Amino acid sequence: MPPPLPLPPGALRRRCDAAALGFASTAQLQPLESLPGQARAEAALAFGVGMRREGYHLFAMGPEGYGRHSLVRARLEAEAARREAPPDWCYVFNFDAPHRPRALRLPAGRAPRFRDAMARLVEDLAAAIAAAFETEEYRNRHREIETGLAERSEGALNDLGERARGERIAFVRTPSGFGFGPLNKAGDGVMEPEDFAKLEEAEQQRLQARISALQKELGDLLHLMPTWRREALDRMRALDREVTRTAANNLIDELKSAYAALPRVQEYLDRVKADILENAAAFRQAKEGGEAPTLFGIPLPRPEGAEGPFRRYAVNVVIEHADAGGAPVVYEDHPSHAALVGRIEHVAQMGALVTDFMLIRAGALHRANGGYLVLDAAKVLTQPYAWEALKRALRSRSVDVRTLGEELGILSTVSLEPEPIPLEVKLVLVGERILYYLLHAWDPEFAELFKVPVDFEEDMPHGDGDGVLYARLVAGCVQREKLRPLDAAAVARVIEHQARDAGHAGKLSVRVQSLVDLLREADYWAGAASRAAVGAADVQRAIDAQVARVDRVRERLREQIVQGTLLVATDGERAGQANGLAVLQLGDFAFGTPQRITARARLGAKGVVDIERESELGGPIHSKGVLILSGYLAGRYAPGLPLSLSASLVFEQSYGGIEGDSASSAELYALLSALAEAPLRQSLAVTGSVNQLGDVQAIGGVNEKIEGFFDLCRERGLTGRQGVLIPASNVQHLMLREDVVRAAAEGRFAVYAVSTVDEGIELLTGLPAGEIHARVEARLARFAERAREFAAAGRRKPWRVEKKK
Amino acid sequence: MIACFAPGHGARPEAAARLARELEAEFLGLFVEDADLVRLASLPFAREVGLASASLLSMDPGALERQLRAQAARVEQALQTILGPAPGWSFRVERATPERAVEAALAEGHAPALLIPPAADLRGARVHARRVELTRQALRAWWTSGKPLVLLPD
Repeated sequence: MPPPLPLPPGALRRRCDAAALGFASTAQLQPLESLPGQARAEAALAFGVGMRREGYHLFAMGPEGYGRHSLVRARLEAEAARREAPPDWCYVFNFDAPHRPRALRLPAGRAPRFRDAMARLVEDLAAAIAAAFETEEYRNRHREIETGLAERSEGALNDLGERARGERIAFVRTPSGFGFGPLNKAGDGVMEPEDFAKLEEAEQQRLQARISALQKELGDLLHLMPTWRREALDRMRALDREVTRTAANNLIDELKSAYAALPRVQEYLDRVKADILENAAAFRQAKEGGEAPTLFGIPLPRPEGAEGPFRRYAVNVVIEHADAGGAPVVYEDHPSHAALVGRIEHVAQMGALVTDFMLIRAGALHRANGGYLVLDAAKVLTQPYAWEALKRALRSRSVDVRTLGEELGILSTVSLEPEPIPLEVKLVLVGERILYYLLHAWDPEFAELFKVPVDFEEDMPHGDGDGVLYARLVAGCVQREKLRPLDAAAVARVIEHQARDAGHAGKLSVRVQSLVDLLREADYWAGAASRAAVGAADVQRAIDAQVARVDRVRERLREQIVQGTLLVATDGERAGQANGLAVLQLGDFAFGTPQRITARARLGAKGVVDIERESELGGPIHSKGVLILSGYLAGRYAPGLPLSLSASLVFEQSYGGIEGDSASSAELYALLSALAEAPLRQSLAVTGSVNQLGDVQAIGGVNEKIEGFFDLCRERGLTGRQGVLIPASNVQHLMLREDVVRAAAEGRFAVYAVSTVDEGIELLTGLPAGEIHARVEARLARFAERAREFAAAGRRKPWRVEKKK
Repeated sequence: MIACFAPGHGARPEAAARLARELEAEFLGLFVEDADLVRLASLPFAREVGLASASLLSMDPGALERQLRAQAARVEQALQTILGPAPGWSFRVERATPERAVEAALAEGHAPALLIPPAADLRGARVHARRVELTRQALRAWWTSGKPLVLLPD
């Protein structure tokens, strides 16, 4: 079988025919709003968004720049516009447990009105209650109670005093209370001590005993007085309540009637009413808030908005949808714990941190409640405790505002436990595929919560009609970005570039971000050239400029090869030496570069030694490729003989790691060349992996590899003998640069597609594969024979004989 | 007007002083050191029952004297603060029974239109009487009533 011929130029690059596109400018095209090639993702998105069951949250996965966010957002916004705006939520004071603020749900847009109505209510109550307490009726009734208490107390004391006087004992008021002393003879005052001393002892004792009894009676009476005072105070409170109720009832009932359909609001207003009755005194003060609180005479700062006792009747609107035209679609760019579940702010007061229900702030889950929330998976996962908080909210279907410090037990200050708000949200996580698979594997809850994977394609088929479709996508980008229109040739060049980006002649990359970048940059160059429309030259210039900005390393490498620092031959022949091709990925830029591979073979029993692996520079896939070579050699040449070979393979002047098996065919050619002592053409470079049967298999980065060798050859001068051997299965991936294709068309460079090792070795040696195999087989047979001889000689050694004895 | 003050009655000198200032009335502040109280404190078995604690407390004449002086000084100071150096007011301390102390003040030629007993509610009810009706018994009753007395012309 003759060796393969060079591939025709038409196979090296799929051209996009501008004339066949059927338009002159993108301005004539209907812009494509959606993303082509994402039918699977769109169907999953539609299902996930429409599915209202628990756990059907979405994970939009794919690499960065493929329009995941824009597609998700567009879909969600379309869906959200069809839905009703969700209810408003506010936090109010909990009169039963102040540290657990209550959450109130109100119809969309009504929470701010409720807040304002409550503020007005407090103002009106302050005026109405203060006025009610200023009425003559209230004053009279209050005085009546006070007088009643005074009369009761004074009356009881006077009675006691009168009874004492009846027994000739005076009842005297002292600075601290009351005392009893014997009356003088005239009965108009306390007896002088000298007169008392003159009394008979029996009389003295009688008087003292009687005074003691009266003192006890007075003590009992005084014990009763606090009870009477309490009774009077109760009556005063009842009076205050009655007056307050009369003044407040109408105002509160009016507000209640406005919220008649909302039982929780009704219940809250009832509690407000009860609390106002209990705290009527606050409303009687002329100025709201009264005097500022002080500590040791120093005025205390108040929390923000914490003016006075009426703050408890304020309404903290955490979420309102007054102007919402549908359900919310929220994207949280910084999904920290607090940004997701909300936070409770504190204010400093005299060195202590204090808070109340008015300092509760909503998080993204609150804002997205009743709608959709979009988060970047990587950002959520890298924020402390955000992922756990998010899952907890989704599991419990409620948002519980907790500060992280409190949750971790490191916040030792007064805090709150706000009532959780029921959560109904559709969450869309956007992230790399690896995150989806890792979460799926390692987080048992993930699969329960994110049942809808939305897998984004990285490319789309490049069929006959797809060029126009893609042109419409370009037109959409142009319109959105407000760029100059592209002519058909420019679009054709863009399409070819996107095929190259896809790494496949039959596909087009749908990496929208890089497409938009290319269009923006082409627009820039068109502007620099004062062109009204972007032409193919502008697109090419944009591509070249992109490459020029990042190819410093590639140039340095090529320079070193040309200068002979790195040894790579592009002409001549040499046994045991082949040109392999490697791809280096630096950031977003990948390029190919040739690399010398050498092989040495001798008699031995070590088989094929991979020096890269031995020196721990080779990765596992590379090692696997080399081990496959041993399998090929043993199976192909020595099925009935022991393989008595020690061969070494190395990537010369490689000081970094080597990974991948794409050089395994080059390594095999070098090894066969060394064994057959048949020199290889150094004007050819080789890429492709092999299996144990000698089939050449597809590899990645075929375009970059070919171009890498081409660039070196061009630098040294194209001879017409130079070229690259690629796996035949990689031909479909060819989207080579125009200069490579041109050189191939002119016969100055060649690309050969090989399917088997035999085809490759024939191209490289110029000898029939059969002859190469025969030489290798003969060499290995000689090695085996010599090995047997060595083994036999070893057995005749005297020490061996002695040992046997 | 004559405003009376006495230990154990919760003196409110400020209110009386303000009223005098508003009415531009001549004002006599009369602090009555109840003679019965002083005598009671001198008795060997003297005890008082505390109003707040309802418990028996011993009475010491020396301590009582100091308390009375301190209370009188506080009242005078409060009146001074409100009425200032104006010549139309005076303050004195009388050791007598309340009715005798008032009687003595009236006998000195004071012709007050208003008699204010200790701890009186100036905004509350008032009683009326003519000068001739103010017997010692009537004065005792008035003192214990705690109501301001408006003296009507005879």
